[in-house]
Amino acid sequence: MSAVAGPATPAEAAAALAEASAARERVAVVGGGTRSRRGRPAPPADHELRTTGLRRVVAHEPADLTVTVEAGLLASELAELAAAAGQCWPQAEIRPGSTVGGVLAAAASGRRRLRFGAVRDSLLQVVLATGDGRLVTAGGRTVKGVSGYDIPRLAVGSLGTLGVIVEVTLKLWPIPPAQGWFGAEGPLAERLGVVARALGGPARPASVLLTPGAVAVELTGPPADVVAAEGLAPLDEEPPGPGGRGIVEAGVPPPRLGDLAGRLEDAGLGYEARMGVGTCLVAVASADDVRRVRAWAGELGGHATVADGPPELRADPWGPPPPGLELMRRLRDAFDPAGVLNPSMLLWEAA
Amino acid sequence: MATIAQAPALRERFAAVLDPSRVIDHPLERRLYSRDGSIAEGDCGLVVLPETTAEVAACMRVARDLGVNVVPRGSGTGLCGGAVPLEGAVVVSVARMTRVLEVDPEVPCARVQPGVLNLDLSMAVRHLGLHYAPDPSSQQACSIGGNVATNAGGPHCLSSGVTAQHVLGMEIVLADGQVLRLGGTAPDPPGYDLRGFVVGGEGTLGVVTEVLVRLMRNPPEVRTMLLDFPTVRQAGEAVGAIIAGGVIPAAMEMMDRRMTVAVEAFVRADLPVEAAAVLLVEVDGTPAEVAAHTAVVEAVGARHGAGEVRVARDEAERALFWKARKSAFGAVARVAPNYYLHDCVVPRTRLVEVLERIEEIALARDLVVMNVFHAGDGNLHPLIAFDRRDPEQVERVHAAGKDIIEACVAVGGVLSGEHGIGLEKRDFMPLTFSAVDLAAQACARDAFDPEGRLNPAKVLPVGSRCGELVLDAGSLPPGTWL
Repeated sequence: MSAVAGPATPAEAAAALAEASAARERVAVVGGGTRSRRGRPAPPADHELRTTGLRRVVAHEPADLTVTVEAGLLASELAELAAAAGQCWPQAEIRPGSTVGGVLAAAASGRRRLRFGAVRDSLLQVVLATGDGRLVTAGGRTVKGVSGYDIPRLAVGSLGTLGVIVEVTLKLWPIPPAQGWFGAEGPLAERLGVVARALGGPARPASVLLTPGAVAVELTGPPADVVAAEGLAPLDEEPPGPGGRGIVEAGVPPPRLGDLAGRLEDAGLGYEARMGVGTCLVAVASADDVRRVRAWAGELGGHATVADGPPELRADPWGPPPPGLELMRRLRDAFDPAGVLNPSMLLWEAA
Repeated sequence: MATIAQAPALRERFAAVLDPSRVIDHPLERRLYSRDGSIAEGDCGLVVLPETTAEVAACMRVARDLGVNVVPRGSGTGLCGGAVPLEGAVVVSVARMTRVLEVDPEVPCARVQPGVLNLDLSMAVRHLGLHYAPDPSSQQACSIGGNVATNAGGPHCLSSGVTAQHVLGMEIVLADGQVLRLGGTAPDPPGYDLRGFVVGGEGTLGVVTEVLVRLMRNPPEVRTMLLDFPTVRQAGEAVGAIIAGGVIPAAMEMMDRRMTVAVEAFVRADLPVEAAAVLLVEVDGTPAEVAAHTAVVEAVGARHGAGEVRVARDEAERALFWKARKSAFGAVARVAPNYYLHDCVVPRTRLVEVLERIEEIALARDLVVMNVFHAGDGNLHPLIAFDRRDPEQVERVHAAGKDIIEACVAVGGVLSGEHGIGLEKRDFMPLTFSAVDLAAQACARDAFDPEGRLNPAKVLPVGSRCGELVLDAGSLPPGTWL
């Protein structure tokens, strides 16, 4: 039976982890719990550490386009705070209930990555409570800086295996003056033509999504630029994402996404391909689907991981280990020497 | 010295894996490689010039077997001593690895060897309507490998980000000779982002032997404007007002009067030499974006006392404006034989007060400080002109440098925006990081180079160790688990 800790300060979070490390007891870190169905299923942890008590806004400098918050703050609350100053966090994929730290720990980049970049590029400074209870600050609060080793980049996507993200400084962006979605339907070849024209400019779309039977383009910028291009019609709302028992996130070289989409359509699998980026979310129903998608992504020069799904879809959530696994293990040992933080989550180790 | 006596034996070992003509041990040449673009001077034991990844790996294995330290080197234009070898270390120069291996206009990206010069890469893809975004002032001379080591920036990183955002992948040779390929065009491979971590590693994590960089499509329209201001304060406030107006320009650079005068004498661009400060603002994008952003810049300029907004009439004039900006450091030679350049970043909201403080510091030390910098992201480049032949002057320069760094950190700034820490700023790291923070960085570095033979004594202050830091749970506040 796991005990639940809800630290109210970064120091309390660190202290809890130091205790767990000393006792060699496993800790499951939970933010909003919106991305907990990933990684290899592990036996129940001895403790659950919830970050949602860490919700202070430490500093918001609207004129500097930066904000420093504790990581358990709801990402939607951060978005509201930023919006009040005419700003946004465009790189993040925010789900209802997501925490800021959870979005970063999962490296959850959103649909606007095409224009605004990956979520890891928005993190300026991080405070990590390491597995052995140190509070480590890395990076800097200014919009630019190369002061020391880039531990913030390691933390993004680390799924809580290096430490608990307890405080972050983020770079914000001005909310674009206008925004709109435009769409078209048709056979794949036609849709790929629409995609090529959208990516070819002159406007730089925020998002170009290919889905079975449809294509959707999000434009942002001055109102004069947010108009339907030839062959596209305004959409009333943002298109929904794919739904299924599980979601596989494939990453392939961007020019190969059309090939992947073709195979997925032939197989009757739902998907959302983020054109120009190389990411494709695929709705899967079985471990066999996971294997098929992974094989196709591999043939196209990419990879596929299970981003969401019940345990039976996650027996092999990551696929073959990437180069540098030994370095990753050494890094993990440096930050979590007792191996108490989600140890089976990421590094291809036995649970 | 000991290292000079040691050189012949070293040479023999490396000449067994490299063409002997690419193993250099002549004292004069070693002296040349004992420096970089900074004012630091070290002690180079030997220089090797590999041309392939296999040769780099072979050199690294020889160095491992001999237990000698290795310093990777690109073009040697770095400004903080990052490429300066110490205590007879072996310099592994990638200056002969200059091939653009592949350009894929579909991604778009390019795979290049680390010795390719920054500007050469942009020139090589220009006919495709593409460019490589990071554009340090030294871009005619600095290498992509060096850019990766320092996480280099440049004026156009304001809207498009520094090197880390433009490196998709790399091939790296570790200290033990192991070759790894990290990242690639397929986004988000599973595991930690080692690719991102290596960028900015200042040659302490491995020798990067191939870089896969993202290329950007040239914007459909560009407008470059010069604004002159009667006071530095008004120029600084205009910078904040443009950002607050919802515009992130492609670039936003400031020059003070001393710098403008020096540059004008050098490039003859008809710069407003009477102005206390000049802003160079570039906006790009669709015609509608450019029009909207130009309107904001012009309105802010008028509100903050700008005399005129001079818009570059054509590509030639735009190139002239940028030549003025990028030759600023060279132009200082007309003022004094040497300069010491800082690279602090401060919050944009504190820009004006820090500039005023820097002027006070220079006055108090009887030094001339000139400013030309990336105003849009608060990245200062106060440049102290001096003559290194005068030891007393050099002492004042260092003292002023320390004051400037402390003043920047005091308002929430960081030590470096794009040049790196290297040797010169290493001992200032404790101003922004605790011992615990520095130990964590040391641990991360040790994961790559457990023996500490790659560019040792750089980045982290001597004494930063990856030690046993596990806290004693018994001493912690009770009642943490609820």
